This record gives sequence, structure tokens and C-alpha cells, in this order.
Amino acid sequence: MTLRDPRHAWMRQLAAFAILLAVWEAASRAGLLNPLYVPSPGKVAAVLVDLFADGGIWPHLDATFTAALGGLALGIAVGVVLGVIAALVPFIAELLEPVMSVLNAIPRVVLAPLFVIWLGIGLASKIALSFILVAVLIFFTVFTGIRQVDRKLVERVITLGGDRWALVRHVYLPSVAAWVLGNLKIAVGFAFTGACVGEFVAATRGLGYLLSFAQSTFNAALMFALILLILVVVLLIFGIAGRLEKYLLRWN
Amino acid sequence: MIGLQQPLSGTVETELAPAQIGILFQDDALLPWKTARDNVALGLTFHGVERGKALAEAEAWLERLNLAGFGDRFPRHLSGGQRKRVALAQVLAMRPKLILMDEPFASLDAIVGARVVRDVVALVEREGISVLLVTHDLEEALSLSDEVYLLSQGPRAHITQHYQVPIPRPRDPVLSRTHPAFAPLYERLWADLSREVDHRVEAA
Repeated sequence: MTLRDPRHAWMRQLAAFAILLAVWEAASRAGLLNPLYVPSPGKVAAVLVDLFADGGIWPHLDATFTAALGGLALGIAVGVVLGVIAALVPFIAELLEPVMSVLNAIPRVVLAPLFVIWLGIGLASKIALSFILVAVLIFFTVFTGIRQVDRKLVERVITLGGDRWALVRHVYLPSVAAWVLGNLKIAVGFAFTGACVGEFVAATRGLGYLLSFAQSTFNAALMFALILLILVVVLLIFGIAGRLEKYLLRWN
Repeated sequence: MIGLQQPLSGTVETELAPAQIGILFQDDALLPWKTARDNVALGLTFHGVERGKALAEAEAWLERLNLAGFGDRFPRHLSGGQRKRVALAQVLAMRPKLILMDEPFASLDAIVGARVVRDVVALVEREGISVLLVTHDLEEALSLSDEVYLLSQGPRAHITQHYQVPIPRPRDPVLSRTHPAFAPLYERLWADLSREVDHRVEAA
């Protein structure tokens, strides 16, 4: 093992991160950083440990996860269905495409306050925001994807005696699955964005709600702890999504 | 002929059901998300063959085409010649009476192509399958066929000449080029084709 071995890049990255933390901690202890704005790593870690030690974090994690995963699942389901229908029925595409294009063009988080008015400050408004973020992404993925399905594969299946259902099952569905999986990580990111922003706007529970609470109480240490927590959670799901993608797209 | 496109005029007369006609395209057009074996079994399962049996039969065809052990590979992990063989196995597994081939060997390099062609000829002769081959390659046309039809340049292509190729079967597609009947036929075919092309150039 040498220091320059490209396979050990993660070791060098980890070392650099450790050094950064050490410098940060040292600077904090030397009084160079105002703890009101930038708390020391040790303080952030202590807050994080506290959150889990008294169990107070679980309802919030639960709320955010439910909203994000609920929005993700609904968004993918509706995005796929609408995308498939629009791709196969030109009349529907005429109606849907402009709406989706508008929704795609605006930053969809601006809808958050509207959802709060419509659906209240409970879980529903967060799922809705998460859903709209994911659904539009998946709709365009599937819609453009299906129209690009390889004609040759369609003809191949027909000449082998496949009927309409065989086409859907052996050509269209696998194509759609490939495009959706290719965008799964982005969709996961969108889903958590929707959940957190929704909670940020108005909620009684959730990581986004805790963040806005930390802001109103000027609690920088809690904020850092929460950002770190969200980072870890999303990276974890990215890892799972990546594995899933790699397994299901192993032919690629 | 297979029904992918409707004829502009005239009719297609055949005693064969669509299932008895196989097609080999220029591109192999295998489903990228299915293994070689699943690709070969696909047509069989469309015609009601139970999956386990279809897979076993697919494996047998892969072996016959010198692809034993490649059944679990995805098309992406096969070479061009191997993919062509899989596509061929896919067609042959349907036990067709007639195979339509549209320049199926054009995308293969010379040696790989020659080997695939040799195996195709052997299988087709053994199984008694008719082949309708469309090609730009005069040598390929003469060395593989019993009869050659010359088509005029499209659009509105039509048959302008018809040749019998008296080279006996079973044939070796490479050696049949040295048969005494080959050279004179080649000359005739080339002359007729040149005239056809010149014609068009003058017209333009």
C-alpha cells in the first residue's frame, strides 16, 4: 500500500476530513470561533448524542421518513402511470405535457404554503410536496423514455409472435424500470427536500420542523447536528438505491 | 411478408403461418435486459411453451451454435459474432420453415462473418429450412443461394433478372466460390448489376 495508490483515495479523504475536524475543534477551543455561529465538532456531537439518548429524535425522524418515502412511492407510481399513458395516448399527452412543463419550470417548493392551506400542517402537506417534486421528475423520465424505446426491439418481439401484453412486459416495462432506476437517487433527494421544506414551512414534527425551531432559538449546535443527521440519512438511502440500481441494471 | 408493413399493391401468398417464418435483421436486436438464454427462449414462451422447457430448448440451440456456457451472459457482454449467433438461435428455436434475412452478416468482420455463415449454411441445410436472403454482396449471394433474383434500384424496386446457381449441396460457403460455375455467374451478375446502376446514374 502506498500513499498514492488510487484505490486508497477514501483513506486520504478520511484523513483530510479528520484533520479538518481537528483544526476546527482546536480553533474553537482557542476561542477563534464564536460558538454562537460555529459550534465546535465536540459540541455538535454532544447534541447529536443527546437527541438519540433521550429518544426525542425518533418522532421527528419518523415524521420526515414517512413523508419522504410516502411522497417518493406515490410520486414514482403516479409519475410512471401518467408518463406511460401520455406516451401511448397522444390526446392525453397534449393535455398533460404543458401542465407538467409548467410544474417542471417553477421551483416546486413554492407550492409548500399552498399545500399547508389545503391539507393542514400535518403529514399530508409534506407528502404532497414530496410527491409533486418526485412525480414531475419521473413523469418526464418515463414520457421521453417510452418515446425513445428502440423500434427494433418492438419489431423483434412482434416477429417472434409476441402480443401487446408481451410488448409491455418484455420491452416497455424493463425500459421504464431502467429509466426510473437511473433517476432513483435524484428522486430520493427530491423526496427528502420536499419533506424537510414542507416541515420547515409549518409542522409540529419532523427534522425540518426541528431545524426551524433551532433557527428561532438561535441554536447553531442543534442545526449542525440536524444537518449532519439528514446528510447521513440521505447518504444511507442513496447507498440502498445505488445497490438496487446496480443489481436491477446489471445487464447494462 | 411477415406483416410488419402492408404491401402497397398486390398480395403475399404463402401456406406458412407467421410463426413458421423467422426473421434475421441486420442488427441483432436482442433484448438487452435478458440473458442470451432468455432471449432465445422468448419466442417459444410466446407460443405457449412452458418456461422450463423453453429454457432447456434454448440452451440446446445455444450449444448447437457453439455458445455453450454463454447462456447466462447479457447481450452487452457478448461479442458481435456471439450476439449474431444468439439472434440466430432465437429464430431457429421457433423451428421456422422459412427465414428472411436482411443483410444479416454485414455488421460482422470477415473471419467472424465467414464462421457464422458456415454454421448457418450447415444448420439450414440439415434442418431443411428455406432462406430468403437480401444482400448487396454478390459473392455472398452466389455462394449461398440456389436462385438469385436481381432487384432494380428503389424506390419501386422490381425483379429484373433471375439466375440459377448450379453448385451442389451440401455446400461450403468458402469453397463454393471456387466451383467452376461460380466465376461465369459472377461476371454475368456483375455486368447486369452495373448496367442497372449506370442506368440510374444516366437517368439522374
